[in-house]
Amino acid sequence: MTQLSRNETIKGESRFLRGTIAEGLLEHVTGGIAEDDQQLTKFHGIYQQDDRDLRAERAKKKLEKAFSFMARLRIPGGVLTPAQWIAMHDLAAEHGNDTLRLTTRQTIQFHGIIKSNLRPAIQAINAAMLDTIAACGDVNRNVIASVVPQHAAVHAQVLETARAISAHLLPHSRAWHEIWIGETQVAGGEAEEEPILGRTYLPRKFKIALAVPPQNDVDAFAHEMGLIAIVEGGSVVGYNVAVGGGMGMTHGEPDTFPRTGDLIGFCTPAQVVDVCEKVVTIQRDWGDRSDRKHARLKYTIETHGLDRFRAELSARLGFALAPARDYAFARSGDPLGWVEGEDGRWHCFLFVENGRVQGEMLAGLRAVAAQHDGRFILTPNQNLVIADVAAGHKAAIDALLRRHGLTEPGVLRRNAMACVALPTCGLALAESERYLPELITTLEAEYQRCGLRDDEIMIRMTGCPNGCARPYLAEIGLVGTGPGLYNLYLGGAFDGTRLSKLYREKIGHDAIVAALAPLFAGYAADRRWGERFSDFVIRTGVVAATTAGNRFHTA
Amino acid sequence: MSTSIAQAATPFAEDQLSEIRRLVGGATAEQRLWLSGYVAGFQAATDSPAAPAAPPAAKAKLTILYATESGNAEALAGAARKSAARLGFAARTVDMMDTTPEQLAGAEALLVIASTWGEGDPPQRAEGFLTALMAEDAPGLAGLRFAVLALGDRAYAKFCETGRQIDARLEALGGTRIAPRLDCDLDFHQPAAAWIDTTLREIAPPADEAGAAVIHVDFARPGAAEDRTRAFDAEITARIILNSSRSDVETHHVELSLAGAGIAYEPGDSLGFSPRNDPVLVEDVLRLAGLDGDAAMHAALTERLDITTLTRAQITDYAGLTGDAALRALAEDAIRAAEFLRDRQFVDLLAAAPHKLTGENLTNLLRPLPPRLYSVASSRAAVGEEAHLLIGAVRWNSHGRARNGVASVDVAERRGVGTTLPVYLKPNPHFRLPADPAAPIVMIGPGTGVAPFRAFLQQREATGATGRNWLFTGARRFTHDFLYQLEWRDWLQSGVLSRIDLAFSRDQRKKIYVQHRMWEARGDLFAWLQDGATVYVCGDAKAMAKDVHAMLLRVIADQSRRDADGAAAYLREMQRAGRYLRDVY
Ligand code: SRM
Ligand SMILES: Cc1cc2nc3c(=O)[nH]c(=O)nc-3n(C[C@H](O)[C@H](O)[C@H](O)COP(=O)(O)OP(=O)(O)OC[C@H]3O[C@@H](n4cnc5c(N)ncnc54)[C@H](O)[C@@H]3O)c2cc1C
Ligand SMILES: Cc1cc2nc3c(=O)[nH]c(=O)nc-3n(C[C@H](O)[C@H](O)[C@H](O)COP(=O)(O)O)c2cc1C
Ligand code: SF4
Repeated sequence: MTQLSRNETIKGESRFLRGTIAEGLLEHVTGGIAEDDQQLTKFHGIYQQDDRDLRAERAKKKLEKAFSFMARLRIPGGVLTPAQWIAMHDLAAEHGNDTLRLTTRQTIQFHGIIKSNLRPAIQAINAAMLDTIAACGDVNRNVIASVVPQHAAVHAQVLETARAISAHLLPHSRAWHEIWIGETQVAGGEAEEEPILGRTYLPRKFKIALAVPPQNDVDAFAHEMGLIAIVEGGSVVGYNVAVGGGMGMTHGEPDTFPRTGDLIGFCTPAQVVDVCEKVVTIQRDWGDRSDRKHARLKYTIETHGLDRFRAELSARLGFALAPARDYAFARSGDPLGWVEGEDGRWHCFLFVENGRVQGEMLAGLRAVAAQHDGRFILTPNQNLVIADVAAGHKAAIDALLRRHGLTEPGVLRRNAMACVALPTCGLALAESERYLPELITTLEAEYQRCGLRDDEIMIRMTGCPNGCARPYLAEIGLVGTGPGLYNLYLGGAFDGTRLSKLYREKIGHDAIVAALAPLFAGYAADRRWGERFSDFVIRTGVVAATTAGNRFHTA
Repeated sequence: MSTSIAQAATPFAEDQLSEIRRLVGGATAEQRLWLSGYVAGFQAATDSPAAPAAPPAAKAKLTILYATESGNAEALAGAARKSAARLGFAARTVDMMDTTPEQLAGAEALLVIASTWGEGDPPQRAEGFLTALMAEDAPGLAGLRFAVLALGDRAYAKFCETGRQIDARLEALGGTRIAPRLDCDLDFHQPAAAWIDTTLREIAPPADEAGAAVIHVDFARPGAAEDRTRAFDAEITARIILNSSRSDVETHHVELSLAGAGIAYEPGDSLGFSPRNDPVLVEDVLRLAGLDGDAAMHAALTERLDITTLTRAQITDYAGLTGDAALRALAEDAIRAAEFLRDRQFVDLLAAAPHKLTGENLTNLLRPLPPRLYSVASSRAAVGEEAHLLIGAVRWNSHGRARNGVASVDVAERRGVGTTLPVYLKPNPHFRLPADPAAPIVMIGPGTGVAPFRAFLQQREATGATGRNWLFTGARRFTHDFLYQLEWRDWLQSGVLSRIDLAFSRDQRKKIYVQHRMWEARGDLFAWLQDGATVYVCGDAKAMAKDVHAMLLRVIADQSRRDADGAAAYLREMQRAGRYLRDVY
């Protein structure tokens, strides 16, 4: 067998995710922590980062890198109370960089927490009945679920399932509580066990998403497991199970690729937690622990074959999954604006550009939270829903939002998403969050010049090929390759069911605009009735359709 | 302008006084020096003194009592003792820290040299003495003949406050004033020398004319100790802002080449230099005074005169010069004047009531530009013929104007690499590493106060000193303002630095300062004190040094179960033993 990756040793020797994190927090002269501990804090939802904008100047100023930490909440299904929202706002103001970053996995990230503020920050999170456990690391990540508050009953069922899965797959280690909250250690900690995840946890991250068709806001095929709710008579009767999805790849390494999950059957709500557990354990036992670039479930399935995988799953479950049921997705973007629910309550889907809540928007949402008795729901599109507004309250909340300038975005912007990238993401090769807004402005001008008005096109950008904004499922995907340069992908389906294809390599702003403008023009002139931009570019041969992940790199 | 004769105590009438002011104020340093000698000589030659002309049979006893923080008063006292000895006195110098008013009761003649600190406070080392002197049960001092020389800085509202208080109190306790008090501004050297010389003669006039004619001016030029007149043009070889570009403050690390300068500084010493005024401000002042200003005028305003400080006396003088009644009324109303002076500078006075002035009018309104001091942040043992300074750029806004600290911003904006800085050495014998290289030290220096401690550590590292070193420092924000972070980190790793405790005030809602860290570490801190550690405090005098002092007392009280008096005694004893040293500004 090939050698285990370094992370496996770190995990194995970590005493269930403790390492020397607590000691490192006491080393005040540095804003960072030990290298191995940086791997371990991820399991606690905490990343060491540094401000890359400042890197160049630091050494000559006799300063180490501008270290700070990113902390990511675990919020299965993305539901918060207004009080929790306010608490998180306070936390960001006091300990973070005064922004809340809504993520593509339906949660909040805090950036810029310096080491001395980490414990107070995590304790504030704990005090708000939230946590950051397993928000990162080689574990099951935040379980995401379609945001369909307008279908209150179904939404409630799906949320309950998301929470149950998340709770069931959580690490058992008490390390988080000890290190961050100050819970005293139970005799050595060594007595702990990780019955599901194992002593060295999973080979790599593991992701689960629950979709409620026709809404595919979670991108059901982009995760280790996509669970597609089948609704009958106003209630969830079970879930279609897709396995082996994932986005990340590495430039220049064609054996890494994004992959859409394979539909392997159907399970009942009573079975679904068990199904998740068994898929996790197969990945735990079969996943590649020598090469982290090849360790996700998608590669495990590619290596062992879907049939073997399915057989193993049946064996572990003690039953076979039923055949998948019919379903249909319509879109992966969020419907924006007010939506009336089945029960007469209203829900406002607010566009948050690239998920970054700051400034006037923070102030506005705080004002809303102060008088709102419903819920705040984060969406997998980095947006926010003010849910459960009584009809009589709608006008007041609407007025507040308007007063704080929260208005609807343009047609290309409304479905646009960018990952964080610079300056905090250590893996970014190019700008993303800080650049996409400007590019969209230019593209919207081109779009209008072509006479297009209301036809949505889904655009996503990431600063590197890891795919955090799921760009390979976008109609237009831009993936950073170097400073100011991007690969341009086209043809991902509007409903998130088809991967895209590389169209142009390593191009800058002007070339991106130049490449897209004629396609907009062609689309305006030659599209069929109701035809999506992505379907148009495939029909007209601009790019070939990608039918499977392992064909992503083939032209 | 720079030195006033305390009016209440002068034998002169107002018009005589202004004559003197005009003459002395307008004189060059050399002229003043000559004048002082002239007056002394003239007096000796013309007076037929009532005192015995023959030398006293037994040498007259003279106590020279000084209160100092940064050593000026002490240096003057030392020089005065030499002069007194030459004049035939049995003179001794006494640090206020080492004596009590009772012990003075026996003295016959007393010369007091006292500086003022903080906001009109006595030097810290003199606090105990002064409290006792001001107390109701202070001893009567009938029979004591005294004179007071006050050191201060006219830029402070309570100019020479400590000297004034002592002067009044000694009289109230029954003492006889031999000579009117002299209040000195920062350019105290010549006027103080002259005053000391005349005063010594008042106390016990010299035996003969020959003796009287000898003018002992050597203390006006302290030579090796501190010589501003022989500044060395040190080339700036590096200048780096240590704060990150995200910081709201700017602290410059400046490296100077002292090659060939022969400036043998010790860790703990400071370098002084005479800054140049902001050329934009110079133009503003000229314009508001209705002057074009020739090259000489520009040079004077740029290099020699203080064009930023504003005092009530200047309002008075300006009102007098211009006949501006409103200004005169302002100057005469203490409360309104104080209100006007707050956060204003000389240029604001001109702007508030512009009048056309002559060049001479203008320069007579201004005091000499005082030099500024900066702790040396390096050790020669580590950097050779270099000196490093750590200079915080002082910038603020007031009354609608952006203001710049004269010296710090001169360096920050106008003294680039390759230019020179005319530096002189200002030794600080009261701020030295312990003689014993194995003795532990505790260094408390937030902000630029950390500068001498970098020198200390360089020195201790280079000399292989084995004593433990503990640093308390801090600034606004860890990420952006942690001065010399990587160096402390390396020193911790190599063991040169035993421990560092950090206070970054703005990293959390509740402000955290070094004194809070001291409290958190009180057990260890007191253990270090018990182990004989010397405590050094450097940096801000307004708040930090006071808070740290209070915290030291609190830690000592808490850890040794002493009451407040007991803790104060403990700390006083440390101070007396030279184990509690401060260099604050
Ligand atoms: C915040 C977020 C993007 C956003 O703009 O919303 C994000 C941000 C980061 N992702 Fe991601 N990922 C985020 C969703 C995703 C997704 C989308 C999803 O999960 O639906 C993907 C693609 C799906 C997948 O996993 O394949 C994704 C694939 C990655 C990868 C590639 C993993 C792979 O196996 O290929 C990495 C790099 C890695 O793990 O080595 C990564 C790593 C990172 C890190 C933590 C960088 C790092 O490892 O140092 C980024 C932190 C940047 C920062 O400064 O905040 N992130 N990341 C999303 C947070 C999700 C959450 O709340 O948990
Ligand atoms: C022994 C000693 C050692 C020193 N060591 C150092 C050192 O190592 N590093 C260092 O940086 N400094 C040090 N200083 C202080 C230094 O000498 C100067 O005082 C300082 O740099 C300011 O000088 P400046 O000419 O720039 O400012 P100035 O022109 O003298 O202006 C300073 C004055 O401006 C006013 N002022 C400042 N801020 C405000 C405000 N916010 N609002 C209103 N008024 C304000 C105050 O009256 C203040 O006194 C030391 C001082 C001493 C006595
Ligand atoms: C921080 C600080 C505060 C001062 N406060 C005053 C003051 O309130 N009044 C005053 O007249 N002089 C004040 N001065 C000026 C000093 O008295 C002056 O520099 C004097 O020469 C110092 O003498 P020393 O070295 O003997 O202590 C202050 C100086 C500093 C550095
Ligand atoms: S896609 Fe790459 S650049 Fe963007 S956040 Fe993820 S890891 Fe960072």
